[in-house]
Amino acid sequence: MRTIILGVGNQILGNDGVGIHVTNSLKKHVKDPNITIDDAVTGGMNLLELILGYDKAIIIDAVKMENGEDGEVKKILLNDFSTMHSCNPHDVSLIEAIEVAKKMGENRIPKEIIIIGITMKQIPCEFGEKLSPKIAAALPKAVKMTLNEIKKDIKISI
Amino acid sequence: MKTITIDPITRLEGHGKISIFLDGKGDVENAYLQIPELRGFERFAQGRRAEDMPQITSRICGVCPVAHHFASTKALDAAFSVDPPSAAKKLRELMYCGYFIYDHILHFYFLGGPDFVVGPDAPAAKRNVLGVIEKAGLEIGKEVIKHRAYGQKITAILGGKATHPVCGLPGGVSKGLNKDEVKDIENMTKSCIDFAQFSLKLFNDIVLQNKDYVNLILSDPYQLKTYNMGLVDKNNKVNFYDGKIRVTDQQGKEKVKFDVKDYTKYVAEHVEEWSYIKFPYLKSIGWNGFKDGKDSGIYRVGPLGRLNAAEGMATPLANKEYKKMFETLGGKAVNSTLAFHWARLIELLYATERAMELIKDPEITSTKIRNPVGEPGEGMGVTEAARGTLIHHYKLDKKGLIDKANLIVATTNNSGAINMSIRDAAKGIIKKGKVNDGLLNMVEMAFRAYDPCFACATHTLPGGMPLEVNIYDKDKKLYKTLRRNF
Repeated sequence: MRTIILGVGNQILGNDGVGIHVTNSLKKHVKDPNITIDDAVTGGMNLLELILGYDKAIIIDAVKMENGEDGEVKKILLNDFSTMHSCNPHDVSLIEAIEVAKKMGENRIPKEIIIIGITMKQIPCEFGEKLSPKIAAALPKAVKMTLNEIKKDIKISI
Repeated sequence: MKTITIDPITRLEGHGKISIFLDGKGDVENAYLQIPELRGFERFAQGRRAEDMPQITSRICGVCPVAHHFASTKALDAAFSVDPPSAAKKLRELMYCGYFIYDHILHFYFLGGPDFVVGPDAPAAKRNVLGVIEKAGLEIGKEVIKHRAYGQKITAILGGKATHPVCGLPGGVSKGLNKDEVKDIENMTKSCIDFAQFSLKLFNDIVLQNKDYVNLILSDPYQLKTYNMGLVDKNNKVNFYDGKIRVTDQQGKEKVKFDVKDYTKYVAEHVEEWSYIKFPYLKSIGWNGFKDGKDSGIYRVGPLGRLNAAEGMATPLANKEYKKMFETLGGKAVNSTLAFHWARLIELLYATERAMELIKDPEITSTKIRNPVGEPGEGMGVTEAARGTLIHHYKLDKKGLIDKANLIVATTNNSGAINMSIRDAAKGIIKKGKVNDGLLNMVEMAFRAYDPCFACATHTLPGGMPLEVNIYDKDKKLYKTLRRNF
């Protein structure tokens, strides 16, 4: 069972990079040859290519929820998104990318794709490396939730 | 025209918000596109080590990391007064070709192309890559995926990491190529040349053989007679990685040609109170509002801007296609916004041919890939991002730390033109206050042609590329709202 954990986001865009803060922390806890931990400043087709060949993919990312609170941590299944566009006119969504890949007979798509989302009302538009207090406070929960997803498969050293 | 003031607070709400204002007759008076702009880069960069900039700036945008990476590296070459060895320049340019290959394939087949291949009137749910595959066939779909991935792989071999290159250093690159890698890249490139030719044939068969599409390309709402800008080599042929910035007029005649270091002598930026995005224009002409024609300093960049601003392509197959495009669309300059798609495919072919020239160059395996740097100072670097001219400008202090940093990104260079294209598309479809559902399509096609890279997180889930069009009557009262992806 091979798993990839990807922190997705932009580290120089404040809260937007929260996923990478989570994977940085996970790297300290998890040392297992069957678990790959990485980060990605990308979406759509590129994101899909990064997870191909693994049995399970866990994507940790900022989720914009205008009606939600800052700093909630949610486990979201890919199917729960009705549309998941990459927030960019120059890319397709991960869902679209997966649909295309399936249509092409791609057989390396992970059987299980889980998204650990850290909610925020606004995605920042200002450069910076720091997380806001509410988002920073959500880190331990996001780390724990991710570890829960993999604990049955691996050794964890804390 | 009456002045319209939009509360600055609303400037950042949402992405891709378009406001259309009608006159007393219910026709379009004006339209404004508001997109969020990332702020605070200068402050963020201040005090950082100059050599970190190529990595940092490649993270600015999930779409064009390679373009930022090399605009930044080239600015550092200039700031440290160093000229990289010729092998290093070739490696950088080769990597750049890989980036154009994947980027242009993605745009044509996944984003812009569906409007044509599936059809401009097809429902939005069909106008996507799946619709293209349905129409063109599964085998072609596989080819699309394969060759986009080849572009990525070429970039990754040279750059260390495809989506976040780490190879650019002031004075050269950190990594050369071994014989196996050369073989690998050569094989992929060969296949990419065939695929680029196939793509142009597909465009010919599906788009150019269809009278309705050609009429659409040549229709009034999609014409914009601006100046054009792009990098050219010493023969005035298109170059993505290096050269002089050339500007041509509405008839394709050279207006100015200059080195990036003189950029501020030729280009100024206009500010509008309703947008954080600046509107660059040619200084010698001046800012004359959102108008086209020779008296307006607005210019266009990107595939069509580059082809108009040059006198041809430097490779044989692409040059043949270049000539065909100008012959078919009535000579220079081609002012049809929808011709960006055609120009993009011609550039794809050029990128593949140029990659082949570079990989076959014996110098490509040279180990002399870096020159020692000089004292830190000031420097500007320019590259052609897939979507247009991109400039980085740094001032370093004596320790080699960033004192000042400024970026002029491709989509900003196009901002005046994009705004006008949206307005004109709206004008073509809103008459006497009648708004039909085709509006979103027509407006989307207008700005999609530019392949704009709006500053926003590339990956936010569920994010969406929400598009909201608000139409206001003559009294500035909200008349109608159309939305997508909200």
